[in-house]
Order: sequence, then structure tokens, then C-alpha cells
Amino acid sequence: MSTAAYGRLRSRKRRDRTLNIITFAVVILFAILAIFPIWWIFRTSLMTNAEIYKYPPSLIPANWLFSNYEKTLQVFKFWKYLWNTMVIIVPSCLAGTFTATLCGYAFARLRFRGKNLIWALCVGSMLLPAMVTLIPLYIGWTRGLGFSDSYWPLILPYFCGGGAFNIFLIRQFIMSIPRELDQAATIDGAGYFRILFNIIMPAIKPAMIVVALFIFITLWNDLLQQMIYINSSDKYTIALGLTNFRGQLKSDWSLTMAATCLSFAPGVIFYLIGQRYFVEGITLTGLKN
Amino acid sequence: METIKMKTINPLQKRRSRIFSAEARVAYICLIPAFLGLIFLTYLPLVGVLGISLTNWTGLKSPVFIGLDNYIKIFTTDPYIKDSIISTIYFAALSVTGSMIYSLFIALLLNRKIPARGFFRAVFYVPYVLPAAAIYVGWSWLYEGNFGFFNYVLSELGLNKILFIADSSFVVPSLSLISVWLAGNLIVIFLAGLQNVPVVYHEAAEMDGAGGWHRFRHITIPCMTPIIFYNLLMCLIANLQVVTPALALTNGGPGNSSRFLTYLMYDQAFVNYRLGYACATTLIIFAILAVFTTVLFKTSGRWIYNEGGDDK
Repeated sequence: MSTAAYGRLRSRKRRDRTLNIITFAVVILFAILAIFPIWWIFRTSLMTNAEIYKYPPSLIPANWLFSNYEKTLQVFKFWKYLWNTMVIIVPSCLAGTFTATLCGYAFARLRFRGKNLIWALCVGSMLLPAMVTLIPLYIGWTRGLGFSDSYWPLILPYFCGGGAFNIFLIRQFIMSIPRELDQAATIDGAGYFRILFNIIMPAIKPAMIVVALFIFITLWNDLLQQMIYINSSDKYTIALGLTNFRGQLKSDWSLTMAATCLSFAPGVIFYLIGQRYFVEGITLTGLKN
Repeated sequence: METIKMKTINPLQKRRSRIFSAEARVAYICLIPAFLGLIFLTYLPLVGVLGISLTNWTGLKSPVFIGLDNYIKIFTTDPYIKDSIISTIYFAALSVTGSMIYSLFIALLLNRKIPARGFFRAVFYVPYVLPAAAIYVGWSWLYEGNFGFFNYVLSELGLNKILFIADSSFVVPSLSLISVWLAGNLIVIFLAGLQNVPVVYHEAAEMDGAGGWHRFRHITIPCMTPIIFYNLLMCLIANLQVVTPALALTNGGPGNSSRFLTYLMYDQAFVNYRLGYACATTLIIFAILAVFTTVLFKTSGRWIYNEGGDDK
């Protein structure tokens, strides 16, 4: 290698290193900005109201008043709301994931009459915004089936395939599994359901976990439907409870922020458990389209 | 000869069609949930929305067919619809632009060789897994008019205090900022796309002496266009349906400045019980969404780079 080329390579390497250091610095800066609102909410939840209104505000509470949380829990029925939320989320996640897997399997592997038409209807429903069907569904659930002030209108839809998007995700994932696997099982005499349960399901476990997490997040965030279907306060979910709690305690910011932090906790815990699969699954949704 | 041929072929065909039917039976059993969902949760309600929109149903008396009256009323006498359309599009424009730029920028940074990449990805992603209601309540404190964090920064800079979500000219940008902050899933999708850009392209270009900017402009961006399109579409649809901040925080105010279309529909249907009228509003929202989506699809052919032959 000529000295000139060597020198160029070295200067390129040095430039790359400086660039990497700058990148890292910028990432740290943005990460601080991104996490800052959560920290601000958290530090407020540990302060006295006098400390909140101090000028200039301090970044770290002088005393970490975890007693704020005790006080909050007396007014904000977090455990009850959490239980109510889980009563909706757990069956929805299980049923949604299972039925999405069934449908995804049919679309990915089985041959049957009308497949293209049904698939087109499925994909079409994916393009239909959720708010369009809201009012007829409300009328159907409350008038038609008499489910007023009930969790069923929130849960039962997940017994119907868990949404076209999740079916799509499972289908894509199954299609990436080599067909030779199920052919070998067919030769060994396994039926279609045996193949699904013994070969496909273990292979697509990450996708199923992702679907469960997606359903979790959807339900978690769906304040609109919870507001529509749930009326009595002892049936409130976390989202409803918090919205209501804020109305009651408009100026007691430290207690409101403590309630907010409590509501953050389950999502963060769930995310930390499923993080690995989460990234994988979201990656899939973006790339397979 | 003819008959022999027939005889040898027929049993085989018969057996095969029987296999088909067993397979089809399994498929139909598997698809029962999807059938139910498609019929009762999607397409029947879609017809329902259209039907109800032609009536004056309030939920108390039985509905009376009134033709297109609801639509005429919406376009002529509705006091909210115009502001509502404007604020929704304003919100979506700000949020989509902000989210796309922010998430692509962060993804590009995280795609470089930096330490603790997984940790940083989690940091940017975490806002997305928090319950929306809690996020808006939490941010309402940051935006608070006297003691909120943003007003502290403003006063440190010697600027006047802003009421943010309590000020009709600031409420939409303020809510958009939250929605940009929530764009963690876009970052993860972009990052995955960036990691799929073939390294050989970059190496080849580097050999030819292409600089960082040129490689970004002529390799990274073209390879990313399908993913940019996907994110843009999802982000646009989600933001045009915005309703949670209005429900959790602003109740459409101050004034009508955050009375987004979906909130308007909610208000008509579930606060004032004008079900027929609300269904007409729903379909107008749907039409607006459809227009935006179609425009995006129609123009996509021009700027999406498709790697040759790969149209799966």
C-alpha cells in the first residue's frame, strides 16, 4: 500500500471515530430529552406541593416522599383498576393470539375454495379505520345483545381473530417457516391440527408473543371504547380511573403524578419482559409489507 | 385406449379432491373466528353506519328515514365541522411531519456503531408502551401554565409564559409534540429497515469515492423508501383519527381548537345521542381518510424504489 493511500485510510478511520463520538453525544442528548418528561413526572410524584411550586424548580426531590403513593392509593383505587384492566386484557390477549394463529395458519398453509376472496376481505378490513364501525358496534353490543356497562364488548372482538393486522402478521411468519417441516410430519401421519400445534406453534412463538403485546397495547390505550362501554366507577380501568382522578384533584399535582406513575408501571414491566420479542415483531411488521 | 386412460387417471383425481376437502374443512374451522369478525365486526357495521346516517335516530324513538338531511346539515349548519376538519388536519400534518423526521433521525443515529444501542432503543421506545391516558395527564403537568416545566424554561429564556394546552393557538402544536414523542415504534421499524440496506452497496460506493452524504442520499434513502411509505401511511391514518388527547385532557377545548373529528363524532353520538347525525360525520371522516390514503398510494409509485423483481 502506498503511503498516500495508507494516510488516507488512517485519516478516514480518525474521521469515523470523531463522527462516532459526535453521534454518541447526540444520542445521549436526545435520550435525555426523551426520558426527561417521565423523570419530571416521577420527581413531582415524590415532592410536597410546596416544593413543586418552588422557583427555580429542582431536578431531584429534597426528600423522596414515597408516602405520596400511600396517600394516592387511598383515593386512587389503583389495584382495583389494575385488576379490572387485567380482566379485560388477559382473556383478550389469549383469545386474540390463539384465533389469529388459527386464521394465519389457514391463510399461510391450507388450500381451500374462496381463499383469495376471504383474504381480500381481511386485508380490506385492515384499511378500514376503527372509528368507522364504532357507532353501529355500540348499538349492536348495547341494544342488540344487551351488554351495557360490561367488559364483553371490549373482550369479545378478540375472540374473532384478534384483528386483521395480527392475522396478517402470523401469516407472514408462518410463511417464512420451511414447508418441508410440515411435509415430513404429514408423511409421519400427522393431521393438520397436529401440525399446527406441534410444529407451527412452537416455531412462531415470538410472533405470537408479539401479537399478544400488540393487543395489550391496543387495549391499554383505547380510552375511547372504555369510555363508551363502561359506566360505573367500580368497573373503571386504569385509563378511565386516571382520567377521572385528574378531574377530582385538579390542583394536587404531586398526587396526580403519583397516580400517573403507578399507571405507567404495568406497561413498563410488560415491555421489559417482552422486549426482545417486541423489537423482533415490530421489525417484522415493517419489513414484510 | 381411451377408457384405460380414464380409468387410471380418475381414482387419482378423486383421491386428490378428497384431500382438498379435508384440508378445506380444517381451513374453514380455523377461519370461523375470522368469518364472524369480518361479518359482524367489520362489514355489517360498515353497512350499518351508512344506513343509520340516513336516519334521525337518537336512540330513544325508532329511527325515521330522512335521506341525505344529515349530510346537508353537516355542510350547511354544523357549527363545529369546519374548525374540526382544520384542527384535525393541522394536528396530523404537524404530528406526521414531526414524527417522521424525529424517528428517521434517531434511527440513523442508532444505526451507527455506538455503545449500548439496545438500551437507547429501549429509551426511545418506552413512551409508546405507556397508557395514553397517563401520558396526557403527565404531560399536562409539564405544560402547566404557571409552574410547568416548559414555562420554567421560557421564563429562564426571558420569554412570556404560555398556557400551552389552555391556549387555543398553542393547544394543537403542544399535543403534536406529545405525539412525536410517542413515535418510538416508528424508530424501531426504521432501524430494522436501515439494517437491511445491503452493506455491499455502501462498500461499492465508497470504493468509487462517494462521500457520506452521497451514500445517504443515493443508497440509504432509495432503499428505505418502502419503509418510509409504510411508516408514513400508518402514522397518517393513526393521527387523522386522533381522539385520546381530547378525551383525556382538553375535552375539545379551549374553545373548539382541539375538537378533532373523531372527538366531534364521539360528542355527537355518546354525549348528545344524535346517532344518525354522528354516523354521517363518521362517513365524512372516513372520506377524508380515504382521500389522504389514496393520494399517498397514487403518488407512491413515483418515489418508491423497488428492488428489481421483488414484488412480494
